Amino acid sequence: MTDHRIILLCVIPLVASLVSIALINRRAWSRLVGVLSFTMMLGLAFSLVLKITDAPEEQSVLVSQMGGWTAPFGISIIFDSLSGLLICAAAAVGLGAYIHSFSILDPRTERRYYHPLMQMLMFGVNLSFMTGDLFNLFVAFEIMLMASYALLVIGTSLKQLRQAYKYILLNVLASTIFLMGAGMVYGMFGTLNIADLARIIAEIEADPTRQLPAGFNALAVMFLLVFGLKGAFFPLWFWLPDTYYTIPISIAGLFGGLLTKVGVYTVARLFPLIFSSNGDMMTNSAGQWVGGTSSVIMIILAVAAAFTMFLAVLGAVSQHNVRKILAVHVISQVGYMVFGIAVMSGHALAGCAFYMVQHMVVKCALFLCCGVMEKHAGTDDLDSLGGLLKRDWPLAVLFFIAAMSLVGLPPLSGFFGKMVIIREGFAEDLWILGVIGLVTGALTLLSMLKIWSYGYWNPDKAPTVSQPQAVKSSCRSAYAGIVMLVGFALFLGFGAEAVYKVANRAGEQLENPKTYITAVLGEGAYEQVDVLIAARTVEPEEQVAESIAAPQVSTEETGPEDEQAASELPQDLAKRLIVENPPYTVSIPLGKHGSIIAEQAVSTQGALWPMPWITQTDTGWEVIEE
Amino acid sequence: MMSSPILRTANGIIFPLTLLFAFYMALKGHNFPGGGFIGGLIAAVALMLFRMSHGRDAMTRLMPIHPRVIVAAGLAIATLTGLFPMIYGPFFSVEQEAMPMLRSFAPYVNLGVGEPVHMPSALFFDLGVLLVVIGVSVGMIVRLGEEIAPDEEEVAQA
Amino acid sequence: MTMVLAICVAVTFAVSIYLMLGRELKGVAMGVFLLGHAANLSIIAMSGSPVQTDAQQQTAEHAGVHLTSVDSPEMKDPPILTNQYANEQPLAQMVDPLPQALILTAIVIGFGVMAFLLTLLVVTNRKARTIEVSDLAEEAREA
Repeated sequence: MTDHRIILLCVIPLVASLVSIALINRRAWSRLVGVLSFTMMLGLAFSLVLKITDAPEEQSVLVSQMGGWTAPFGISIIFDSLSGLLICAAAAVGLGAYIHSFSILDPRTERRYYHPLMQMLMFGVNLSFMTGDLFNLFVAFEIMLMASYALLVIGTSLKQLRQAYKYILLNVLASTIFLMGAGMVYGMFGTLNIADLARIIAEIEADPTRQLPAGFNALAVMFLLVFGLKGAFFPLWFWLPDTYYTIPISIAGLFGGLLTKVGVYTVARLFPLIFSSNGDMMTNSAGQWVGGTSSVIMIILAVAAAFTMFLAVLGAVSQHNVRKILAVHVISQVGYMVFGIAVMSGHALAGCAFYMVQHMVVKCALFLCCGVMEKHAGTDDLDSLGGLLKRDWPLAVLFFIAAMSLVGLPPLSGFFGKMVIIREGFAEDLWILGVIGLVTGALTLLSMLKIWSYGYWNPDKAPTVSQPQAVKSSCRSAYAGIVMLVGFALFLGFGAEAVYKVANRAGEQLENPKTYITAVLGEGAYEQVDVLIAARTVEPEEQVAESIAAPQVSTEETGPEDEQAASELPQDLAKRLIVENPPYTVSIPLGKHGSIIAEQAVSTQGALWPMPWITQTDTGWEVIEE
Repeated sequence: MMSSPILRTANGIIFPLTLLFAFYMALKGHNFPGGGFIGGLIAAVALMLFRMSHGRDAMTRLMPIHPRVIVAAGLAIATLTGLFPMIYGPFFSVEQEAMPMLRSFAPYVNLGVGEPVHMPSALFFDLGVLLVVIGVSVGMIVRLGEEIAPDEEEVAQA
Repeated sequence: MTMVLAICVAVTFAVSIYLMLGRELKGVAMGVFLLGHAANLSIIAMSGSPVQTDAQQQTAEHAGVHLTSVDSPEMKDPPILTNQYANEQPLAQMVDPLPQALILTAIVIGFGVMAFLLTLLVVTNRKARTIEVSDLAEEAREA
């Protein structure tokens, strides 16, 4: 269903960043613009999610084609349940971290384009959640990464600079591989639109006479490498703990909540849609099994999930430093999400979506708590912390709720996500992963209790760096940010049924891509796949031969209007349109996509783009020369 | 900084011509090779050459505003061009239909003199791109020049 | 032509990785820029192969276009403009425009990353008085 409002989710932060560049020297105004932008994003995303949650299936995916160019050619912006959930969570996390940063960052740092960079980061994040095009995804990633590079070195201490090189070089390398992967996809399939790719691949899979091009599995692994690096999967997570250790804590909270999840989201979006061909469907014409992508990918994902969960949580247990514990925990929790994707059933993906949302909120809240703890003690080393329960009981309560949500104690939010994922793991014979997940949960509890007992329960041993009252009054906005995020976390826990309904829908849409493909490419785009699958299941030999012998351009694909339009065309033009715009002559085949262009040309006839040189007359179509 | 009389004199001719060529490329870009990005790069080359031949102070006099203003203005123009159809479509167009962002129009505008001019809305988008590219390149060259200059002095002293 | 491109990509990648493994950040930055160029070259090499892949052929057939082999093996087949009329002069002269659009975008992004990295180098040099990786590590440990 078309809804052009969804692009506003990208436009709002863009405009806000421009306004805050103009207001660069006025701190209060910049902050106001930023808060307004985050609130508007949150409100809009929330209302759109409400709108699509109870909608019938054909209205549950909102699409906007940029510039009116139809799907495989233009840029599609797509808002479905998964994107909606994540954008809501991203806006909430952004708002919390942003408010928190008012009492953490010093004014000089804030003037160094902090406000515009935050908005640009949100622009990149929202665009990568919504884009329906592989190359556009690359661009969105780069926008997000450029903003994150700059935020990473904001304040420019030498330690930050040193870590920044590591982060930047790794990400540039990953982006380069991504770019080459996109080029390879284009070379193999001639399209970069995700829905179109999914359609083509599904058709090839369903058709016993065709097979996927050589190197397709390598391509899948290449993409997994890229997104694994961004999402910090095993063994590509070494960059994360050091990077998050040196930056201002509010920004660390935002990065910990958002950035890795963008990588995970991309895996959750692309792999069930594109790289999930079943092994048993992949037989060539001689009947030999040629190996499916999912058999390769599932093993890699499962191994990555197991090691990410377990090794990272061991790392967290061994750390003695609040920030490092939290940063390493980011990785360990990513393991659960990868677990959900590795199972690749609808419910597991739903659990993964729910877990991603709750993890973004809770992890960011924990980082923000850590910021206030640092203000109290002047350090985040557990040995010098202590007595925070007496000094600042509201912070202790907030931290405890967030920590227990992360561990996953019922009825807090982490429980539901983990429960669904682990249950699906046992159901799908990945019981080893399930067991590892449970053990990881116990170790998470251990490391969270470590922070709790050292930081909050132990007697106050260090000479107080600052008076509790002074810290409390200087950190008002920090508390506001934490309270907001913990409130969200509680809502995710106690309102889990409502949220899980949306997540469940997201899982269904990921498992069965028909809704997505139809919404992007238009009615009938998936019919060929259905026909082929039906032919396979009923009469393997005769039916397939028939459906292949029949010409596939036929009018049944293109709908009644095109049929009519095609009949009005002269015989010669019925097959192609020759578009002359001296000195170029372009001929466009009137097939599946060609007819779409022709239709568009008619609907925008006159002096409008595209193709003002084609007009429809009484007798048919006329190509005029400029 | 390097200051060669030959370069400075030659730049008196090269600079305006390069800017003119940049403008020509930017306008030509709708149907032919060229466009805002190319035009912006050519203009940036002209400005860099000016910076090299005349030095930092002359550059500041030539361009008294901070480059970030140019970037912001360019981005704002491009964004507004993109947003225009979303506002124009449902509220002001004849069909009252919702239009996606970045939908382009290609009207022939009568300027009162001569033939009507083909003026696609992409022109304004390209103008925004032009400004962004100029702003970014000039900002980069000015900033890096400022950063490097003190070091050079220190090296000279040593 | 494809072979030449492939060799170019390989050499560029090799040089860039050699530079990136060096001890000086200037060389690392140069390596990063070369990496981008190598990726762009590889897009030219990969997108639209002279021999149609199976998938492309099937897609084109699906779209109602019958593919014929191209006269010149160096011609790339633009998947947007399938080559049914490749023998007609104007189209036979055309190259697939999409990879070029991709590369242009990638170049612009690489330009931005390059500017950022150079600025970072200058700032690092000013703060640490060195851009050697090992010296930088020591400086950071002391600080």
